[in-house]
Amino acid sequence: MSRNVLELVLHRLCVDRTVKQRFKEDSVGLLARYDLTEAERAMLTGFDVAAMQQHGANPMLTFGFWSENAPDRHPAAYMRALRGEAESGTYAFSAVLKR
Amino acid sequence: MGRIAGGFLVPHDPVMFVEPEAPPPDIRERIWGAFRTCADRLAALEATSVVIVGADHYYNFGTGCLPQYLIGTGDVEGPLDVMPGLKRQVIPTSQPLANFIASHGHEHGFDWAVARAISVDHAVAIPDRLIVDPVRVSGQRIGTVPVYIAAGVDPYLSMRRSIELGAAIRAAVEAMPGDERVVVIGSGGLSHWVGMPQMGRVNEAFDREIMDHACTGNLGAMRELSDAYILEHGGNGGMEVRQWAVAMGAMPGARGEIIEYAPVPEWVTGLGFVQLFA
Repeated sequence: MSRNVLELVLHRLCVDRTVKQRFKEDSVGLLARYDLTEAERAMLTGFDVAAMQQHGANPMLTFGFWSENAPDRHPAAYMRALRGEAESGTYAFSAVLKR
Repeated sequence: MGRIAGGFLVPHDPVMFVEPEAPPPDIRERIWGAFRTCADRLAALEATSVVIVGADHYYNFGTGCLPQYLIGTGDVEGPLDVMPGLKRQVIPTSQPLANFIASHGHEHGFDWAVARAISVDHAVAIPDRLIVDPVRVSGQRIGTVPVYIAAGVDPYLSMRRSIELGAAIRAAVEAMPGDERVVVIGSGGLSHWVGMPQMGRVNEAFDREIMDHACTGNLGAMRELSDAYILEHGGNGGMEVRQWAVAMGAMPGARGEIIEYAPVPEWVTGLGFVQLFA
């Protein structure tokens, strides 16, 4: 596996409105266009930002990807996903960061 | 010939705009006040141009092109990443100076990538809006020259080369006919962990170490900072001390003064402001 294509897709999902919309409507179809492994596709469709970082993806991209595409785009939700924490209600970004 | 009239080392924290009320009121006022102080001091320097050195956040540049260092030689607007209180606008430029720096570099071993028209991100737009714009509003004409270095995405520009790049900017300014008065702004740092599990951590010891190097003009210590050390103690965002190194490299021997510093976990970083005296 290579992080390069994963980062290519992540970057497009950060900055390209058309790609973001296609991902929202048909993520499987969109990702089929790229030379990704099944594991990488699963990271993207599952918003598994922790796995992406373990795979070598730049954290700025995983954060941007989440902020632009995740069902719950709030940074607090990103931090929970990154840290592997269960949902525990709504709390402010700054409160999460203080922990 | 032109001259480097001064320098500033400042943060470019977007969370200030996204979550302005997050820190305690006194901290908020100190940080916004520090930007105002920088603006006042910039006005006193009577600069004709500012070179703002920022880092891409994997936003302007993608996997297809990751320049080690780039200069905006034409039209500039920003920020690309608009946010509350920071809308996109045209940024006044100093295109003759920018083109001269690029050409001078090309003739002297610095192969600048150039952007003939660029939408800068918050790394350049925040210091331009908070430090330079107030001076423009007061009546001074100051053009901005944006510079981007590889500090957010690997392969990173080395600390050694960052310092050399600053020296190349200085050499170009001093070789340029006319009487440009240039202020260099290193925009970035200090410790922060962007998008990482530690996001929100601030390492004041690291921050003060870097500010001490800046205040004493210790280019040797900056040059010796390894990527591993910076990543461990300053996070991936701490790699932006390269922008400080560029500004310091443009002002060898300069002493600095801390205008303000506060570790602000609510804004995910240590916020340090240093003025470098020519």
